[in-house]
Amino acid sequence: MMRALKAGRSANLLRLAAVVVVVAAAGMGLAGCDDHGGDPKAQIGANPVLPALQQYLMPPMRIARAVGWGEGETPTVPQGLQVHALASGFTHPRSLYVLPNGDVLVVESNGPKAPIYRPKDIITGWVQSFAGAKAKDANRITLLRDSNGDGVAKLRTTFLDHLNSPFGVALIGHDLYVANTDAIVRYPYQDGETSITAAGTKLTDLPGGPIDHHWTKSLLASPDGSKLYVGVGSNSNIGENGIGAEFERAAIWEVDVASGAHRIFASGIRNPTGLQWEPETGKLWAIANERDEIGPDLVPDYLTSVKDGGFYGWPYSYYGQHLDPRIMPQRPDLVAKATVPDYALSSHVAPLGVAMYTGTDLPANYHGGAFVGEHGSWDRTPLNGYKVVFVPFSGGRPNGPAQDVVTGFLDANNHARGRPVGLAVDRTGGLLIADDVGNTVWRVSSVKPGSPPKPAS
Amino acid sequence: MQQHATITELTFAGGAGSLSTSKPRGRPIHSMPVWFSAAYFTGALVTDLVYWQMPDVLWERFSIWLIMAGLVMTGLAAVAYLIDLAGGRQIDRPALPRVVGYALAGLLSLLNAFVHSRDGYTAVVPAGLTLSALVIIVLLLTACVGMVLSNRSRVGG
Repeated sequence: MMRALKAGRSANLLRLAAVVVVVAAAGMGLAGCDDHGGDPKAQIGANPVLPALQQYLMPPMRIARAVGWGEGETPTVPQGLQVHALASGFTHPRSLYVLPNGDVLVVESNGPKAPIYRPKDIITGWVQSFAGAKAKDANRITLLRDSNGDGVAKLRTTFLDHLNSPFGVALIGHDLYVANTDAIVRYPYQDGETSITAAGTKLTDLPGGPIDHHWTKSLLASPDGSKLYVGVGSNSNIGENGIGAEFERAAIWEVDVASGAHRIFASGIRNPTGLQWEPETGKLWAIANERDEIGPDLVPDYLTSVKDGGFYGWPYSYYGQHLDPRIMPQRPDLVAKATVPDYALSSHVAPLGVAMYTGTDLPANYHGGAFVGEHGSWDRTPLNGYKVVFVPFSGGRPNGPAQDVVTGFLDANNHARGRPVGLAVDRTGGLLIADDVGNTVWRVSSVKPGSPPKPAS
Repeated sequence: MQQHATITELTFAGGAGSLSTSKPRGRPIHSMPVWFSAAYFTGALVTDLVYWQMPDVLWERFSIWLIMAGLVMTGLAAVAYLIDLAGGRQIDRPALPRVVGYALAGLLSLLNAFVHSRDGYTAVVPAGLTLSALVIIVLLLTACVGMVLSNRSRVGG
């Protein structure tokens, strides 16, 4: 009798336990694992469709395993354009800068080692190593010179070495500024120099370690050479390292070249890079990587003009007044004045390079618009980005949907042959693309009448 | 583990278990890690409560590491329990409600570890904090049920 009673009670207990676990799991969105993103086209342009945010038990991770380029493989470009390697064999080339004499600087850099604060950091680091994100940090700038202008580098030298996770470069007169992850350093540069051995002078410190979550510091000189604009990314996805870690981050700094003093030009931009002057209006534009872990279609990364004193939402809100519940205490005063960015590029594409096209080599439809290098998603299914797109501009504003220009970075199995990052326009108008997984600098140009046809790709 | 077993034996010899009429081949080795895990999960509830009142990331980080430590101990306890069963060691009665209770607490804590791995405030409030509290409630109920049932079975023969 006693035994039967006990057995019955135990069975009930088991059932209750099962119910509690299932309800708890379902309630927290474990089912969200196979949740797919919608058509990215709905999120390109001035009015992206923004779905409701969701939170995960296990945030989706979907990386493209890095395989590199096979012999003779190149990215794909539309009819009328051709692409080939300006040079290859780099170590994680991240950004590009063209000197007045046409020499190309290739910044090889992969960021400082991320610290481990939570068990999650161990797992994230391990997963990202499959995407080729853990290559050695070369910490150098390589110079390429194409002396006869045929689009293949003839001279290759180490221009600057022993840097600290460099990214941005800007030349003002004979002063070359390099944005390391923790400081802007000035070097003397003479025209035609292929290597700088002089010691640098620090202009100003920048927010660096020990966390340094978004480590890339992009750099742009003002046309008159008196100011430098610096993109300083946030120190977290969404403030999970504490708001104190975000001091003067997620912002664009304006640094006075003469004194090194700085002020915050614009804020609330999670990871601003690709700083460029829009050629028609002379306004500052930037791209931004938006926040993760609230859905495959949140939050769209964007291209925007940057207003002096503007606040763009991070971390409190996105696209204006869409609140992010993950940040506490909230700041309704800041949310109220949050600016909506100009042009969404769709979610998780990870734009990391912009070139406003001011050259003449490429067809006329590319003149005056912006090329954007999309490094590609790691937390979205299906993959998004992994290409260079073109955003047409008219009257100083984006005008029309983004067009795919350079594709084929993913192979048929969704493995990454390369990932585009920094862009630049060279002296003769070719579009240069740094590919930090393919370890190549690609050059896109027009097919000229009489020139050899584009090699099959 | 062997060390744990020895300590357990020394410290708790003469407890309720020794009343059993069967010949025990030693105290169970799984109870020590069970207590450790309960202590870690309790700690996580405390740090969650502090974070709820004072959202400084430090407390959130304490919570996730405490939950992880609790889960490691729960895993060790499960292994130790199997060793106890295989070795014919004496198991505290009633066995099934305890196993169900601890397993439930372990599973909820596993969910809780994922919730606590979110970024920012919603790693704790409200789901994480709720789960931490639920784990402690389950552990307390398990202890109560265990006590009541073991008394009853002793009285009732």
